[in-house]
Amino acid sequence: MSDTTTLIRENAFVKLLNILADMVSRPSGLVGLSLVGFHIVLAIVSPAIVPYDYRVMDSLAILSGPSAEHWLGTDNLGRDILTRTMLGGQQALLVTSIGTVIAIAWGGMLGVMLGLIGGWLENLVMRLVDAFLAIPWILFLLLIVSVVGLGNAVLIPTLAFFYGIPVVRMSRAATHDVVALDYITAARARGESRITIVIKELLPNVLDVLLVEAAMRWSWMLLAFSSLSFLGFGVTPPTADWGLMIAGARSFMSFAPWAVLAPVVALSSLIIGINLSADALAKALGIDRAQKAPL
Amino acid sequence: MIKLKTFIVTAVLAVLPISLAQAAGGTFLTAHDLGFGGSENADPIHPNRFWQVTEKTMNRLVRPSAAGEPTPDLAVSWSANDAATEWTFKLRAGVKFHDGTDFDAADVVDLLNRIKDPELDSPVASVLAVMEKVEAIDPLTVKISLSAAHADFPMLIMDYRIRMTPSGSGDTIGKTGIGTGPFILETLDPEGTTVLKANPDYWEGAPAVETIKIIAIPDAQARVQALLSGQIDMLRHISAQEKVLFENNPKFKIQQVNTGDWLAAIVFRTDIEPFTDVRVRKAVRIAADREAMINLVLGPGGGVVTCDHPVWTGDQYRAQIECPQQIDEAKRLLAEAGYPDGIEIDVVTSDLRALWVDMVQVYQQQVAAAGIKINLVKAPADGYWSDVWMKKPVVTTSWGQRPADQVFNEAYRSTASWNESYWKNPEFDRKLDQARQELDRAKRTALYQDLQKMLFEEGGTFTPFHVNQVVVTSARVTGLPVMFDDGVQYHNVSVGE
Repeated sequence: MSDTTTLIRENAFVKLLNILADMVSRPSGLVGLSLVGFHIVLAIVSPAIVPYDYRVMDSLAILSGPSAEHWLGTDNLGRDILTRTMLGGQQALLVTSIGTVIAIAWGGMLGVMLGLIGGWLENLVMRLVDAFLAIPWILFLLLIVSVVGLGNAVLIPTLAFFYGIPVVRMSRAATHDVVALDYITAARARGESRITIVIKELLPNVLDVLLVEAAMRWSWMLLAFSSLSFLGFGVTPPTADWGLMIAGARSFMSFAPWAVLAPVVALSSLIIGINLSADALAKALGIDRAQKAPL
Repeated sequence: MIKLKTFIVTAVLAVLPISLAQAAGGTFLTAHDLGFGGSENADPIHPNRFWQVTEKTMNRLVRPSAAGEPTPDLAVSWSANDAATEWTFKLRAGVKFHDGTDFDAADVVDLLNRIKDPELDSPVASVLAVMEKVEAIDPLTVKISLSAAHADFPMLIMDYRIRMTPSGSGDTIGKTGIGTGPFILETLDPEGTTVLKANPDYWEGAPAVETIKIIAIPDAQARVQALLSGQIDMLRHISAQEKVLFENNPKFKIQQVNTGDWLAAIVFRTDIEPFTDVRVRKAVRIAADREAMINLVLGPGGGVVTCDHPVWTGDQYRAQIECPQQIDEAKRLLAEAGYPDGIEIDVVTSDLRALWVDMVQVYQQQVAAAGIKINLVKAPADGYWSDVWMKKPVVTTSWGQRPADQVFNEAYRSTASWNESYWKNPEFDRKLDQARQELDRAKRTALYQDLQKMLFEEGGTFTPFHVNQVVVTSARVTGLPVMFDDGVQYHNVSVGE
């Protein structure tokens, strides 16, 4: 038994390596993974390497341009923009990566279950999903945040809930492609329980779709998180955060463009990186049959 | 060669008188925001008064000095009876309106009575609600009877809208704009360009400029652009960010004018623990470095330090109080109050006012040294005044300039509906009543100053500064006094090349 498990693990590991190698062999995958990797490493090590305390203000260096002391200039409270940009992705990455895992987990699981069970329950839940998809999510998010309050404890489940809804639809559709196949019928004939069928037969076969979906959802969730911060509903000042930095610096854009440029470049590069990686992943998994890619 | 020299000399001599004439006259260009959409008129007490015109064509009885004190305009002196219920104003002799008629007591009586005309619905009526009766004692003396004592009645009559017009001109003044002021209305075109010409017979001397043009520019950004491109000569209320556009530019001059606006303050409700303890209230206020806060939030020179009371530097009753940052004293007070390990406070603020979030961040940094941990909690801007302000224990607030007596009654009297810090102090209320009725100026000042000191020692509002207004003029403008809008005398303003 243990030998079989080891073999499966080794196979999975080899498969993962193969996928990564395939992704890296494509220009979009190489660029995308490098960008994402850079941001993740930066988020982890930045507290140890930033040149200044992100909270320290300097009244003598308000909105000063890039210089030897402040490579990317300072903001309207005289805080170092390089420091704040380096730290600015921490909250976004933390909240959205946890949010994405939860969204994919609940959305994916529910979709697969519905695809397998079918019938009136599937119809009922899918109509509810349609109803939620029709609601402008940003308004709903703002409503929840206004009523419940701010903070990661509110943001993570809220984002995970809203971004899990389209995942339900996607994983259900992917399950429908698989559920009619002979090996599922055989598993049913063997008398295996629904849970076993879901875990052993269905999930491994829709996992590829869910992985690509997760990458796409992650980039959208990042944008949503930064939009919330920009609107004043995300993280609270003085936390270093890209959306918050853009919001704070936008009124000085005409004469202090560096204050808004640095977080914009950082946020865009991460989102572009995730999108390129998702694209390469889709191709590596053979999901993107059209083989259309920007790079 | 001789011909060339002769030509140059002749040309210079020919141009010289024109240059001299321009230097003595010239046109001062200014803008207005078309706030009433073109229905602006030259009646000073009308709801849609075009004050940018009336302030230049008309005079008040009393006008503010640079320090905000009542000084003579068309009234040369004033006095009250012992009870401060009857005020007598002596008028300036020999003053003529633009139409050549003499200014006298009948004009004052007519204007003040017209303010109470319900059909006119003048906004000044509520300012002068205390005024009961106006009589002309003789051509140069007016007596005003009040329904209640008011030691500072001249402060009320100093309102920027109460400007003298010829008696019986109520129906036409909106179009003619006739007054006793330094400029005469030539063309009234609120939506286009309104033109004023110098009044050579002005009682304070002829104005330095020949013409003033007031151009309608509704958009704030467009007004800034108009100033940048030389289409106008002066713009007031420039923001700290916009100021950067004019700094270090020899084409412009920048003035910082003190105002009484306290646009960013933190209110600690005195009826909720732990702020029921006066030591905690004082500790959370003296732990801040106000000067550094001004530099960071408003920019250097962007405001004047204020020690937790609402009376601004231009107010005659402002007390001189020192309030440097005192970290050790704040720690001691907190320890004495039972918080030796410091205290944690949620400050609820919002993006409703531009300065708030920045100010709380600076405050958070400054008071941390005293063991005061500030959690910045952001509330939606929508419904801030109804759901957060005067509801949550600690919130940010913002007020516009008001005279001492008015703001004390509006924001600190125990029964005031906007008593935002829930400050209930019978001694404070008693002194406030006493101050209003005290006729001796020195005693009245002492009372109003006591109230300010009381607020600094025991109050619940952290008011770190009053903001300065930025006024930008083109470099050719001289003689514009550094003072708030309401007090500028335009006959002294001149324009060069």
